[in-house]
Amino acid sequence: MTEVQQQVKTAQELAQQSEEYRTAVGKLVVSHAINELHGARVFDEPAVAFAPNPYAKWLTCRVAMEEYGHHCRFFELGREMGIAEERMLPEKTAKRPLSMFDFSLQTWEEFVAIKAFGDLAEILQVEDLLHCTFHPLRNLARMTMPEEKFHHQFGMDFARELIKTDEGKARLQDAVNRVFPAIPPFFGGANSKNNETFRRLGIKLRSNEEMRSDYMVRAKAAADALGLTLPEVPAATVH
Amino acid sequence: MARPDPLQSALDAAWFSTLGEPLGAGELTDIETYTLALGLPLNAPPLPVQSWQQAAEVLRGETGEWWALEEAERARLEQTVRLDPAAPAWIRVNDRLHGAAAVAAARGGCSDAAMIKVAAGASSYATYHYHLAMAAECGPDHAFIRKYALFSGGRWPLGIYAGRFAIF
Repeated sequence: MTEVQQQVKTAQELAQQSEEYRTAVGKLVVSHAINELHGARVFDEPAVAFAPNPYAKWLTCRVAMEEYGHHCRFFELGREMGIAEERMLPEKTAKRPLSMFDFSLQTWEEFVAIKAFGDLAEILQVEDLLHCTFHPLRNLARMTMPEEKFHHQFGMDFARELIKTDEGKARLQDAVNRVFPAIPPFFGGANSKNNETFRRLGIKLRSNEEMRSDYMVRAKAAADALGLTLPEVPAATVH
Repeated sequence: MARPDPLQSALDAAWFSTLGEPLGAGELTDIETYTLALGLPLNAPPLPVQSWQQAAEVLRGETGEWWALEEAERARLEQTVRLDPAAPAWIRVNDRLHGAAAVAAARGGCSDAAMIKVAAGASSYATYHYHLAMAAECGPDHAFIRKYALFSGGRWPLGIYAGRFAIF
């Protein structure tokens, strides 16, 4: 029989939870606040300049604003939880953003690949919080999910435009080859102690390995739908 | 007289409320002033866009010189002032813009979520430009201020295509 885990309905109730629970939830909120902001800065906002026409430019602008909005919401939740502001801002914390953001965006095709495959990974991360025992985080995940799905769809829609020509398809495949290897490590290491704690406390549902395995299946389906292939990635990052 | 707060002004504007309606004399003047300020005087009359579908088709046209000129002006103004795109007040404005675009699209029979976001993005960009121009104390005939006047009066200026200023 499934154990019914205690539900924490507000940020105020969080103060009454164990230090382990508060620390675990805090780590996730800090990570989301930092990475949503950093991603908007290094990928989405610069991509406006690469977009091919006003339709794509303004749509990219809106997507960038949604990413900034996600940061803002995680940041506000963090403040309610008593997390110091400087821990949630990339320019003020020693905590580094995820390594996938080290990629230096140079073309529209790279941005399309990032949205199609990188934001698919983000969807899985948000899905894993949809039944989180800390309800403010659960509700935040539920609020951002439709926009995360749209961002993946944005990537797929513009990818479909690019593959209409052989030249466009080749450029997109080249971008996927360079962008994709940085994405599977996004799910964290195998046998992660943090992840074990998240699951034991009912904050997350699946192991890093399970999510990465599911991601690889879904990413391959997305690539197949576009007639693209995914590059080989080092075994250490997918197991 | 105190200058208006750009973000408060954006919360109160008549976003997307007159899409497809005939252009008035004041709007024609705004268009002429905008194009002159940008250094792109036009000989042809504005192109009135009548539907969301037509707007989507126009926007998929080539990005013209007007975009590059606006970007150059934005970069110039940003040397003295910037807006934090993650500031809560700015996020609230963007939520309002998206909501207004969604309502207008529903009225106009458009259910295209992407096109609604394009409208929200366009109005966000225009509001940011307006904020820069106001912070830099530009005059009322500045291109960004005249373009914002069209947006805040319920229009969607789409840009310049084949020598004509397209406006929904």
